[in-house]
Amino acid sequence: MLYSEDLLGRQNADGGWSYFRGGSWTEPTCYALLALAASGTGHAAEVRRGMSWLQRCQRRDGGFAPRESVQESTWVTALTLLLPPDTQGFDRSRAEAWTVDQTGRESGWVFRLRLWMLGADSSSDSMSFDGWPWYPGAAAWVGPTALSVLALQKLAKRGGPASRSDLKKRIDQGVSYLLARRCRDGGWNHGSTRSLGYDSDSYPETTGLALLALHGVHDPKVNEGLARGEQQLAVCPSSEGVSWLRMGLGAHGRAPRAPAAGSVANQVDGSKAPAGHGGVMEIALAALADSAQAGKNPFLDL
Amino acid sequence: MSPKTPLEPTRREWTKAAGMAAAGGVAAAATLESCSQPVRLQAWAPVSIYRAATYSEELYGLVRRIIAEHALDVRGKRVVLKPNLVEFDARTVINTNPKLVHAALEAFRAAGAADVRIAEGPGHRRVTLDLADAGGYFATVPNFESLFTDLNLDETTKVDFVRPLSKLKSLYLPNTILGCDLLVSMPKLKTHHWAGATLSMKNLFGLVPGGVYGWPKNVLHWAGIPQCIADLHTLFPKTFAIVDGIVGMEGNGPIQGTPRTAGVVVAGASPVSVDATCCRIMGLEPARIGYLQLAAGVQNLGEELIPQHGERIDSVATSFALLPELAGLRLSR
Repeated sequence: MLYSEDLLGRQNADGGWSYFRGGSWTEPTCYALLALAASGTGHAAEVRRGMSWLQRCQRRDGGFAPRESVQESTWVTALTLLLPPDTQGFDRSRAEAWTVDQTGRESGWVFRLRLWMLGADSSSDSMSFDGWPWYPGAAAWVGPTALSVLALQKLAKRGGPASRSDLKKRIDQGVSYLLARRCRDGGWNHGSTRSLGYDSDSYPETTGLALLALHGVHDPKVNEGLARGEQQLAVCPSSEGVSWLRMGLGAHGRAPRAPAAGSVANQVDGSKAPAGHGGVMEIALAALADSAQAGKNPFLDL
Repeated sequence: MSPKTPLEPTRREWTKAAGMAAAGGVAAAATLESCSQPVRLQAWAPVSIYRAATYSEELYGLVRRIIAEHALDVRGKRVVLKPNLVEFDARTVINTNPKLVHAALEAFRAAGAADVRIAEGPGHRRVTLDLADAGGYFATVPNFESLFTDLNLDETTKVDFVRPLSKLKSLYLPNTILGCDLLVSMPKLKTHHWAGATLSMKNLFGLVPGGVYGWPKNVLHWAGIPQCIADLHTLFPKTFAIVDGIVGMEGNGPIQGTPRTAGVVVAGASPVSVDATCCRIMGLEPARIGYLQLAAGVQNLGEELIPQHGERIDSVATSFALLPELAGLRLSR
């Protein structure tokens, strides 16, 4: 079955998508819509219904909530900005402004002043750059920072009022944040590289995502990340992990092939990937990775 | 409407428990004679300590024995088992062993529970089912996927705290947990580089949905880790605890520590008394663990106030290595 057919079969009656089953969430809805757009097979009515559901999650501050029943805007706002500009239905400019305004709490002056007063070192690389939090008022982490960088890069490419200097500054800060939060093994985890003097290991899914956001960045740290990503891909048992690694490595011109241990055929080159658990995210990300491998990366292309 | 059973806290009971705990401890209001007099020493709910050398078939009988010993009436009830799944690393033992979880699943079913689910919301890794697979849950628990709820992605309801100890005013929480009759916290016996020890109360962090708050659930860190643990305990005062202390983790827990065999399963109806007992088994002073202090309030955590079934603490005590920063938590005997 084609990924797009699988996704369409899982669309909820309200127009959104769940992670597995049940109520609709913003994150899987955005990835499903992105995958449908990448498939180039139309489905205008289904996309319209998805966008209509998504619109209900936009909050008065311009950001998006992770689901309809949640009042607060969160990191998922960046995902809506990755959708093609012709997918109408929400106030994009306010979503942009909300995303640009978000920073990790640790980079705020209040927190830095507190560290300074406590005699703690706040000058290290990992504290010096503005990343993005999952939830407003919390610290920045790799996942939302990478996705926000990708979203703002898309906005900058589109030009217009969004390609302001503050946008470029935020992108640069986000890239610097990601480079500073690399694990000692070369890859990325959720964003905690070291705790009480002990190094933490990286994960496949976050390594792939960070590499994707760092496309076009020429830095020895990126090269080490690519090497780590290739190691992870060779043994990765996770469907989502494989998809992110394929996109991350592919964005740097590497031609990754999924590991042969799984049971699902890559629809581009026939290689095998882990079967996964049948979740919407797994299906959508596999579709997006296939599209990227075929030359059209929905995260990077307009 | 059917009459309320002891396992069905009403909203009024929840509010009352929350208010009393916030005021200084669940039992405090009933035990203080006057402001000038010392706190009356009141016994905690009993704790079971049983030896278990390995993750063998004997665990199935052991959990049934624990359920009977604590007179848990789960007939017709919805039970949720909440193991601790964090990350998977073949070099160490981070997660609750699936054999003990399966033993609990079978035991609660045998005790007449109408529904027994396994549920968890890990704090670092996005794909919980991949983590559970790596941790051996699919291989050990038949039909695991149909029995499991990813709490990070569950339906949620916003719950307000009544006089919270942390900076949190409310939290979105999973409906699977809010709607169950009995929550069974099943952590692994581990030291923790921030909280001192991670046990049945700290395990409640996994209830907070990553789908709303992210991975990690960093809002809890900013609101105060010990305070948030105590607040979550207040929201779920009737949690039963079964601790996997067969092989625990010492040193730089909860992820990068070293496996340490303690050979015990510890259980009870009071997470505070279970966690205090586990601390003593690991060689930690429970009164120096911040969240235990907060949850106990003015109630004394003395060993003599915690009735025990099975083994004595000193017969199973296994001194867990501590990071130098946590040396002050060491139990002095």
